[in-house]
Amino acid sequence: MKFFNLLKKELAELLNVQTIVSLVVAMSLLMVMGNVMTDTIEEAVKQEYTVTICDRDNTNFTEDMMETLKGYGAKINEVTDSSEDYATLLENTGKENLVIIPEGFSEAIEKGEAPEIISIARMKSAAMMSNMTNTNSGAESLINKAVSDVFAQKAGLSAEDVALINNSIKIEAHTVISDKSAEVSSSMIMSKVMMQNMILPVIVFVLIMMTSQGLMSGISNEKIDKTLETLLSAPVSRTAILGSKMLAATIVAMLQAVLFMVGFSSMMSGATENVTADISSTMTEIMPVEQAMEQLGLSLGIGDYILVGIQLFLTIMICLCLSLVLGSLVNDAKQTQTMIMPLMFGAMIPYMISMLADINSIPIAVRIFVYAIPFTHTFSAIPNLMFGNMIIFYIGLVYQIVIFVVCMFLALRLFKSDKILTASLNFGQKSKYKKSAKKQAE
Amino acid sequence: MEKVLEVKDLSKQYTKVLAADKVSFDIGKGEIFALIGPNGAGKTTTIRMISTLLTPTDGDAIVNGHSVLKDPEKVRQSITYLPDEAGAYKNMTGKKYLRFMAGLFSTDIDTINGYVERAEKMCGLGERLNDKIGSYSRGMIRKLLLSRAVMTKPALAILDEPTSGLDVLNAIEIRKMIKKLAAEEGMSFLISSHNMLEIEFVSDRVGIISKGHLHVTGTADELKTRYNAANLEEVFERVVNGNEVL
Repeated sequence: MKFFNLLKKELAELLNVQTIVSLVVAMSLLMVMGNVMTDTIEEAVKQEYTVTICDRDNTNFTEDMMETLKGYGAKINEVTDSSEDYATLLENTGKENLVIIPEGFSEAIEKGEAPEIISIARMKSAAMMSNMTNTNSGAESLINKAVSDVFAQKAGLSAEDVALINNSIKIEAHTVISDKSAEVSSSMIMSKVMMQNMILPVIVFVLIMMTSQGLMSGISNEKIDKTLETLLSAPVSRTAILGSKMLAATIVAMLQAVLFMVGFSSMMSGATENVTADISSTMTEIMPVEQAMEQLGLSLGIGDYILVGIQLFLTIMICLCLSLVLGSLVNDAKQTQTMIMPLMFGAMIPYMISMLADINSIPIAVRIFVYAIPFTHTFSAIPNLMFGNMIIFYIGLVYQIVIFVVCMFLALRLFKSDKILTASLNFGQKSKYKKSAKKQAE
Repeated sequence: MEKVLEVKDLSKQYTKVLAADKVSFDIGKGEIFALIGPNGAGKTTTIRMISTLLTPTDGDAIVNGHSVLKDPEKVRQSITYLPDEAGAYKNMTGKKYLRFMAGLFSTDIDTINGYVERAEKMCGLGERLNDKIGSYSRGMIRKLLLSRAVMTKPALAILDEPTSGLDVLNAIEIRKMIKKLAAEEGMSFLISSHNMLEIEFVSDRVGIISKGHLHVTGTADELKTRYNAANLEEVFERVVNGNEVL
C-alpha cells in the first residue's frame, strides 16, 4: 500500500501534463511525417508516368510519338507556349517540369542523327524528398525508348531485337547469408534490412535520453528541494522508495518505447511501402523480398523480438540505475545537464556507429571499446540476430545482465547509505557540507 | 519525566571531519528542546542521525524506546522531520501532498483522512490547498510542511529552522502552535534555530553545540544565570567563543 502510494507519486511526477503533451505531439508529428512521405512518394510514382510535353516541332512524327508514349502507359499533358525564358515558360504553363521537343527534332531522326530534347524542371529546395515530383526522368526515358524503337525499325530490327540489345545479359542474382541463399539481389535485401534496422536504434537512443533526463532531474530535484530527506525519514524502507522510483521510470520508459515504436513504424512505412511495392511490381520474375528474407533467415520471429525486448529492457534498467547514481551526485540544476553527458555519449557512440557501419567489422580495438558500452548490444541486437551472430548476441545479453546487476547493486548501496545525502561531484569545488565542515574544523 | 529521546555519545566521523563528537542529551515527553550553534557546528548532522538519515559512527540514540542503529524503521514511525529550507513537490496540490505524506505513515484510509483533516486545519491555507504547490509563496510552503510534520502526532517532531522564510506574524503563529502541541498533546520537539528570541520563547531547554561538541544544556534562565548573561544571545556568544564568565 505504501509502495503504491510512492509509485503513484513517482508516476505523477514523471507523467505530468508537459510530458504527456510532448509525447502526443512527438507521436503525432511522426505520423504526420509518415503521411507526408506517403503522399510525396505516391505523387512521385504517379508523376513518373505523367509526361508534360511542349511540342515545338509539331510534325506528324511527334504526334505519332505521343501516341506511342500513350501506348507505353504514360499520361500525356500537352502544353503550348513559345517563351524562350524557361522560368516564364513554367509560370505560363503552370507546370513544375516539362520536356520541350524543339524544332528539327523529326528532321534529326530522318537524318539518322540523335535528336535533342530540352528538359526543364523547377527546383524548390535541396531537401531529399522535395524534388521527387519535379523531375523529367520518367518522360526522358519514355521518349528515349520511343525514339530507340524508331531507329530500330529503320535498321530493320524487331522489338525483340531491341529488347535483346537493351538487356544484353540476364542477371540471376543470388544473395548468400551464412549457409542459406535466395534468388534475390543483395541491394534489395540491403534496402529492406536497412529500413527495419533504422527504427530500433532511434528508439533506443530517444529512450536513453528521455529516461535518463527524467530520472536524473527527478532525483536531483528531490535532493536539492530536500524532499528526499523528508521521504527517507518517513516510515518506509529505502528499498521501497528506490523500487517505486525505478518502477515508475520503467513504466514511463516502456510507454514511451511503445508510442515511439508506433510513431516511427508509421513514419518508416509511409516512406518505404510504396517504393517497395513499386519495385516488387516491376520485378515479378524475382523472388519477393519478404520470401527471400524468410529463406535467408533474415526474418525475425516472435522469439527474436522477445530477445530484443529483453535487451531493450536491460538497457533501460542500466540507464535508470546509472541516472540514479549520477543524479544523486548533483548539487544544483545546472549540474544535471553535465551529469547526463556520460549517458549521452554512451548512447550516441553506438548509435552513430550502428547507423554508419557494421560494428562487427570495425577494427578490433575500437570494437572492444564500443562493445564495452552496454547500450551497444541493443543497437546491434537486430543485425546480430538477422545475420546469425548468435554468440555475439548472447555474450552481449549476458554482459548487459552483469552490468545491470552491478549498476543495481551500486544504486541500492548508494540509496541505503549516507552517500545518497552526502555524495556530490563538484569538479574541483568542495560540497556545501564539506566546505562548512572544514571551515568549522579550522 | 518519561523520555522520548535519549542521545548517548552520538558521533559522526566523515573522511576528514569529526562532525559530531560524543553528543549526549535527552528530551522528555511534551518537552521542546532547542539545539543551537553556529553554521557547521554539527546541528544538522546530529538531527540527521536522530532522523535515521545518517548512520552514527559511534554512540546511539533511542527514540520512543527504539534504537536508531538497531530499529531505524520503528524510529521513523515515531518521528517526523522537517529539513531546513525544504521544498515540496511543485506539481502536486497542497491537499494531494498532505494525502501522499499521510499515506506513508498509515495504510488505513480513516487514519489518513484524519491526518489530512488535522493538517488542513493547522496550516490555515484554506482553498489554496487545492492549488499546485508551485504557485505557493515560501511562507505558505513552510506552513504546509509544518502542518505535515505534526499531522501524524509523532512522539518527536524534529524541526530544522521551523520559522525560516516566514514573516513575523506567521513565525509567532508557528511558535504558539509548537508550544500548544507540546503542552496539550504531549508532543515533543527537537528544534534548531539561529533565532535566539525564538529559542528563548519557544524552548523548555537549550543545548549549545560547536565544533561537534555539545557544550552545555539547560533552560534559558539557568544558562543566563550560569553565564551571567542578559539574554540567550550573550550565552551563545560566550559558549561559542570560549569566553565564558564563570
